[in-house]
Amino acid sequence: MAVAALSAAEAPPQASPRAISRQRAIRRFKLSLLAPLIALFAFLLVPVLLLQLYFSFHQWTVYLSSWWDADYVGIDLFKEVLTDPRFGWATLRSLAFATSSTLGCFVFGFMLAYLMKRPFRGQAIYYIIFILPMLTVPVVVAYTAEMMLYQSGPINDVITRLSGFEFKPSWLSNPNIALMTVSLLEIWNWTPFSFIIMLAGLSAIPKEPVEAAEILGASKWRIFWEVELPLLRPVILLALVLRFLEAMAEFPKTWALFQGGPGSATETLPVYIFMTTWQYFQISKGAAMSYIVMLMMVVIVLLAIQLLRREKRSLDKMYEQSDEPIAGA
Amino acid sequence: MAMTKSRRRRITALVRYAVLSVWGVIAFFPIYWIVSTSFKLDTQWFAWPPYYFPSPPTFANYMNVWFGAEEYAQTQYAISSQKPLISLYNSTVIATTSTFLSVLFGSIIAYGVSRYRILSEVRMFQLLVLRMIPPIVIVAPLSLYYTAIGLIDTRLGLILVYFLTTLPYAVWMTKSFIDEVPREIEQAAEILGASRWRTVFEIVLPLIRSGLVATFLFILILTWSEYLLALIITKTQVTTLPIELSKYQGSTEGRVYGRQAALAVGITVPLMIVGLIIRRHLARGFSFGMVRR
Repeated sequence: MAVAALSAAEAPPQASPRAISRQRAIRRFKLSLLAPLIALFAFLLVPVLLLQLYFSFHQWTVYLSSWWDADYVGIDLFKEVLTDPRFGWATLRSLAFATSSTLGCFVFGFMLAYLMKRPFRGQAIYYIIFILPMLTVPVVVAYTAEMMLYQSGPINDVITRLSGFEFKPSWLSNPNIALMTVSLLEIWNWTPFSFIIMLAGLSAIPKEPVEAAEILGASKWRIFWEVELPLLRPVILLALVLRFLEAMAEFPKTWALFQGGPGSATETLPVYIFMTTWQYFQISKGAAMSYIVMLMMVVIVLLAIQLLRREKRSLDKMYEQSDEPIAGA
Repeated sequence: MAMTKSRRRRITALVRYAVLSVWGVIAFFPIYWIVSTSFKLDTQWFAWPPYYFPSPPTFANYMNVWFGAEEYAQTQYAISSQKPLISLYNSTVIATTSTFLSVLFGSIIAYGVSRYRILSEVRMFQLLVLRMIPPIVIVAPLSLYYTAIGLIDTRLGLILVYFLTTLPYAVWMTKSFIDEVPREIEQAAEILGASRWRTVFEIVLPLIRSGLVATFLFILILTWSEYLLALIITKTQVTTLPIELSKYQGSTEGRVYGRQAALAVGITVPLMIVGLIIRRHLARGFSFGMVRR
């Protein structure tokens, strides 16, 4: 009796053959929507990750014959990488580069967006000029920098003329400032990213809280800190997180301009991995290094994703409430 | 009281224009510099004091780089063959094909996520990991894998990698457009007896076509300027424009700034045009559709 009642409860009330075939069709449809993604993973991503794992446990360089009978060396390669001071320095450089350029992009991007949040004459032209740096090819940015930053080049010349005293840093050959040069290039290149995200965020925050605060007589400063900034939090975090992750992966500018030099001043993680693999041909050490960096980044990315998920919900809520068109676009 | 208020407003406006204009100059000066260098004679590329205007402007750099014009090819700064044109062809084919695949399959997946939840919210965010891990960590095994299966140094090889790495952008961006389409239309189509695939291709995707175009152009920006993967996967047969450009920087050739600039302008102009067309969608694109409008 109990068994019969249970099975009756389990079966959906509309379990007619038609409904079952419909459900099967939907399942098939869902699977076929997903098929290309699965195929791409199986064909491209999985073999590559397996190979990566293989090389991090087997000592192989291109000078040896065939990679499939390389010697198994256990975790020696990981030990080698983790005790390599160059790897430690590269990690520090990457973190310094990513942090400084992220903050730079954010400060300038936020400032510009805040100044442009209300429409004014000529806004559209400023908007177009401001997003141009983002629309250049990174390699082009590197070569343009080379053309402008040599010691008697136009940048130093312009600053000398404007300021009135000799300004001659060697942006490209002084190891103490080379990393800062790349960081400044990154800021020039990607401030537009922070700018457009902030501007979109600023024009989407609901009007009512700001107006209410104005009526209550709050100062502009207080409105900014206590009303606008909290409302902007999701957008700010989004801009910071995405920019930081991209900066950790930055390669084209650093490589095309410096190849890790002068000395090892610009040897960030991507550059060091590239050199280990393609200049010293230590494929296995490069693979172990890549694995460590990948694990490191996965941890950072998963934390970032936790953050983004939370902020996306509040963003979606914000968009449900407001219907303002974007400023300047 | 009213006087001071309007005066204060005028000062605020003035400060705003000043700050914005300073940044405008900072943003624009390097772009001006590379364009002007591309019109300079070889004696002005690397001069002291620097030439701020090409005088007189010359087309020699463009003629030599893009058309391999013979009379310019005789000088010591000559770029010999017509390699940039071949790279232009490669770049165009690779960028458009991979972007097309990415948007096509990305929008289908996005439809499934939006309407059938084929990927949960967590899975959707995990898809972003594909984009957020630095590509440098997989290039070595990728290159060996490609050598083994014969895809190294081929257009198809690069197309497939770009397809994979831009797919997260395509799925997220098109999903943000599909989410804005009311479901009632699809339900009506289903009642009228349209198959599920027909609903996707003849109703939903046409409804978001401007969004699809924006997504396509946005991803085109990424694939057109990609450097690292192209550097590794292409060796001699297939080079894209960013790689071609980086070849001109060699100690043997010295500083060929004018030629580099002419090439760089040729690479960047299409990108800027595309970017300005979709300027309203850039924020949505770069934020994976999380920031809209």
